[in-house]
Amino acid sequence: MLARVAAEFYWLGRHVERIEHTARLLRFQLTRLADCPVDDLNVGWQAVYRILGQAPVGATASGEEAEAIVIPDAYTLAGELVEERSNPDSLLSCWELGRENGQRVRAQLPLPVWTCLNQGYLWIRESDFSAAWSKAPDALVNDAIDRLRLLAGVVQDVMPRDDTWRFLELGRFTERVQHQAALLASWAELNSEERASGLSWAELLRVCGAYEIYCRRHSTDVEKKEAVRLLTQDPEIPRSLRFSVQRIEELLAGIDPVGARYPLAPPHRMALRLTATVEVEPAGLSAESAAGDYFRSVEDDARTLHHLTMAAYVTHTPAEGLAT
Amino acid sequence: MSQVPAADGGVFADYDLDPAYYDEMFGPDGDPREASSRLNAALADLASDDLTKLQEGVYRHFLHEGITFTVLDADKATEQIIPIDCVPRLLTAAEWDHIERGLKQRLAALNLFLKDVYHDGRCLRDGIVPIDLVLGCPQYRMEMRGLKVPHDVYVAVCGTDIVRTHDGFAVLEDNLRVPSGVSYMLACRNAIKDAFPRLYRAHRVREVADYAERLYATLASLRPSLQDPNVAILTPGMHNSAYYEHAFLAGEMGIDLVEGQDLVLRDGALHARTTAGLRRVDVLYRRIDDDFLDPVQFRSESILGTAGLFHAYRSGNVVLANAPGTGVADDKSLYSYVPRIIRYFLDEEPILANIETHLCREPEGLAYTLEHLDELVVKEVGGAGGYGMLVGPHASADERARYAERLRADPANFISQPVLALSRAPCFIGGAIEPRHVDLRPFVLQGRDEQHVVPGGLCRVALRRGSLVVNSSQGGGCKDLWILED
Repeated sequence: MLARVAAEFYWLGRHVERIEHTARLLRFQLTRLADCPVDDLNVGWQAVYRILGQAPVGATASGEEAEAIVIPDAYTLAGELVEERSNPDSLLSCWELGRENGQRVRAQLPLPVWTCLNQGYLWIRESDFSAAWSKAPDALVNDAIDRLRLLAGVVQDVMPRDDTWRFLELGRFTERVQHQAALLASWAELNSEERASGLSWAELLRVCGAYEIYCRRHSTDVEKKEAVRLLTQDPEIPRSLRFSVQRIEELLAGIDPVGARYPLAPPHRMALRLTATVEVEPAGLSAESAAGDYFRSVEDDARTLHHLTMAAYVTHTPAEGLAT
Repeated sequence: MSQVPAADGGVFADYDLDPAYYDEMFGPDGDPREASSRLNAALADLASDDLTKLQEGVYRHFLHEGITFTVLDADKATEQIIPIDCVPRLLTAAEWDHIERGLKQRLAALNLFLKDVYHDGRCLRDGIVPIDLVLGCPQYRMEMRGLKVPHDVYVAVCGTDIVRTHDGFAVLEDNLRVPSGVSYMLACRNAIKDAFPRLYRAHRVREVADYAERLYATLASLRPSLQDPNVAILTPGMHNSAYYEHAFLAGEMGIDLVEGQDLVLRDGALHARTTAGLRRVDVLYRRIDDDFLDPVQFRSESILGTAGLFHAYRSGNVVLANAPGTGVADDKSLYSYVPRIIRYFLDEEPILANIETHLCREPEGLAYTLEHLDELVVKEVGGAGGYGMLVGPHASADERARYAERLRADPANFISQPVLALSRAPCFIGGAIEPRHVDLRPFVLQGRDEQHVVPGGLCRVALRRGSLVVNSSQGGGCKDLWILED
């Protein structure tokens, strides 16, 4: 397939996954609005923005070196992540970018997938965030997640399992590994005060859609070690690191079938390395600092994987490729 | 003006028949024409609310599928849904047969003309067309001189604008470079077929659904030496006004939609950059103007094309459809010579008439145009999309005065034509059916051995009451065109 088309599918996958990641974090924080003390909410907002790699919009530092940050109201903070066009990672921006990716590959994108993507974009573009907020702050985010599920279902149902699908899924899971690793690192690095404000391991499992599974396998009393193990090494939890890197490896093997390229392409080698990293629990993972470092290194590897993928399949010079 | 007999309330209540214009549905006596009687009866039976629901359904279909065109303003590109009217226009088999024969004749002659002006120049020496008109045309490509074009097919895809007046059908202009609109024709058909399934079946309408298949066969036939040539569409990108169409056609044909950045020249041949390396491209259906095809050969600042593309073309390593330089034959100045071109090359009388045209490059044409500016439509010879033209009767004295200055400054850049009494067809607007002016753009394919005219076309509508401008960029819309079987 055309290298540019591969890149568009890949980025479509990344943008869709980014919407879901942001929406899940937002939903976690917005459901706390009903009964959480204001101070705890502020800690939550700072954590959400930190996990997303952004500074809270309109935040002003007070005291020494921003030890304490005065952050604006919840409506402003949520709006920045939902509908702010100047924020490239807001739900609206990501949907717009994803739709542009889809538009550039309309010739290859099955009509039901395109229609679903387009309708989702039209919906969020026309949504009145302030009106939705006044009814139920989390309603719009929940709707966004439902629309993503619909899109995922349509993709699952109608897309041929060819390279268009492989690059779409490759983008999705690469983005997921990067975000999940950042999320786990940030959670592992929370201090005791932050942890006490409601950012528990049980909440992390809820954000990742793994709380119910955890309870079924263990108990409602969530232990950090088991929670981390589930979200890192479990091969059956869709948002675990191991699940995602295994998908990446399978997808890359499909793009470059065994024997088609020897030695293995650099992204494939990196995917194997990532698989090995998340399959084996490193010693000392229970310590906060060690866990943080470990997940940051996975996040870095996911970034490297992205660059290697681009170099191998998209930005390679013509001389490097073989005519087929 | 009179009202149609059916105007006893209902959706036709406000339908005014103006004898100045040919009406596509009603005869001069106000009765529905024979071919339209079934459609008329079906519509008259519908309540306004029912039609509104159908119209909204059609609009939603277009909105959700993103069937759009892009309007380029001064500093931004706005994506818009093309307005579609839910009332189809009908043509009988006999009417279509006349149009079809006329289009085939016209394209055959224009392809011969193009071969001639880039080789022997016989028709120029014989005075059929003024030599300075051809050589001075900005669309004449010196680079094409003496170049052997595969199977002498310069124009493989043509879209010809046809209007109807009381005098019959006439050609308004030929589009021989990168004619667009065929995807809207197909989208209209799908939407209207969904809206009126029984009516559609009852009318025995000729199908257009195989257009993409025909187009692919046409393009592939230009490279017959290969069993399975690699055909691709070259698009300027998603901000182009016709991008939807480029993507649609590529999807329907199952071929790559490439941009200039996807292509690279290796060993004199054109290749596409794929995830697995380079893949040769044999036939390129380019939807990008000559100027932007190749920055080495044409406009050096172009970032839309591919360096070396024209070299690959000259070397015979890739076929371009349409060939560069075809614009010389659809220049509005040359238009008035097409009947002579048909007689000269085919020794036949033109089947489809031309519109009376005054060439401002000629002193008498300029004088006539200036004298009758308030009665004429004046167009730039290289213009398109309804931009840059003056509709004399609708313009203010000030606008006419300013346009006259432009005419005097560069007369060769303009032609003028009388304001045509374009036929009108019923359209559902604001809860009632009203007449609006329409035209028609059928599409003709010219392959190695055969011509094919799609039995349908893009029927454009001037949706604003009284307006004669049908271009989508200027407030026009489209409607489905049903060509009836015998």
